[in-house]
Amino acid sequence: MKNIIKYGLLLAVIGAGIGVYLWNKPHENMDRAKTDVQISAGELFTAFAENEAQANEIYLDKVIAVTGKVREVSKSPEGLVKVTLDSGDEMFGVICQLDELSEHQRTEFQPGESVMLKGKCTGMLMDVVLVRCVEVK
Amino acid sequence: MQKFFFLLAVILLVGGTVNAQKYFTRAGKVTFTSEAPVEKIEAVNQSATAILDTESSRMEFAILIKAFQFEKALMQEHFNENYMESSTYPKATFKGQIDDATAVNWGKDGSYPVTVSGDMTIHGVTQKLTAPGTITIKEGSIAAQSTFTVAVADYGIEIPSVVAENIAKEVTIAVDVQLAQLNK
Repeated sequence: MKNIIKYGLLLAVIGAGIGVYLWNKPHENMDRAKTDVQISAGELFTAFAENEAQANEIYLDKVIAVTGKVREVSKSPEGLVKVTLDSGDEMFGVICQLDELSEHQRTEFQPGESVMLKGKCTGMLMDVVLVRCVEVK
Repeated sequence: MQKFFFLLAVILLVGGTVNAQKYFTRAGKVTFTSEAPVEKIEAVNQSATAILDTESSRMEFAILIKAFQFEKALMQEHFNENYMESSTYPKATFKGQIDDATAVNWGKDGSYPVTVSGDMTIHGVTQKLTAPGTITIKEGSIAAQSTFTVAVADYGIEIPSVVAENIAKEVTIAVDVQLAQLNK
């Protein structure tokens, strides 16, 4: 009888512990996140432009390391940095939104330089959008 | 293909007029707030696209649901997987127009209160929506702000009774976009 109470209590404490852990679970550490797909900005953009539904199935929510040339860099008033990679398309590209929870070695990028950025694919509006990006050296 | 649809949208918005002015952004900010008795949940999306045609007063917005960032990872997961089903419905869109086209003098700097009506599509469900907003014109750029509420049930989103105290039945959406003239 004593044992039942003892184990019951133990289980309750473990259960509560798991609950608290899940509740406060941190966002995935993007520096350590495993890359699901490595692809060029041009190929990624083309995949979405040609068949968006299929590209959504393959790439949505995946951690994607995308390579390409920087076309444009912008910074919002709140400090959010977005790096747009050239996709080969005249107007639209792959927008990589730098992660606000990660420490970045740099947030300055020069148009024309080649970079590899890793982030989560959220889909395509006019550009393909990756969020929580970090630079891969 | 995407560009084709974009250009098509631009052409449709133009409505055949030659001197129509189109304004555009791909960095609009949309904030979602759920204020329930037990907790307040907030999420921010900073990659909304918006097109505004000042000639016809028509406008279109689109956002990617997965681009909403929450403070708590667990809430973000639940939002995407249980409520918005964002893998099936990755986007939300609004297509509409300013009700009173004369409400804004596009050529003159100022802040103009407007009402916008149109079709809102969330979670694959389209509903009519009318929202108040403000158009601010300053030195050739246009800013648009709007805050409105939507009832989650209207868009086929079910909140299980076990979390009914945690999630509001009506959530507040705030839209804040800075548009620049489209040169194409």
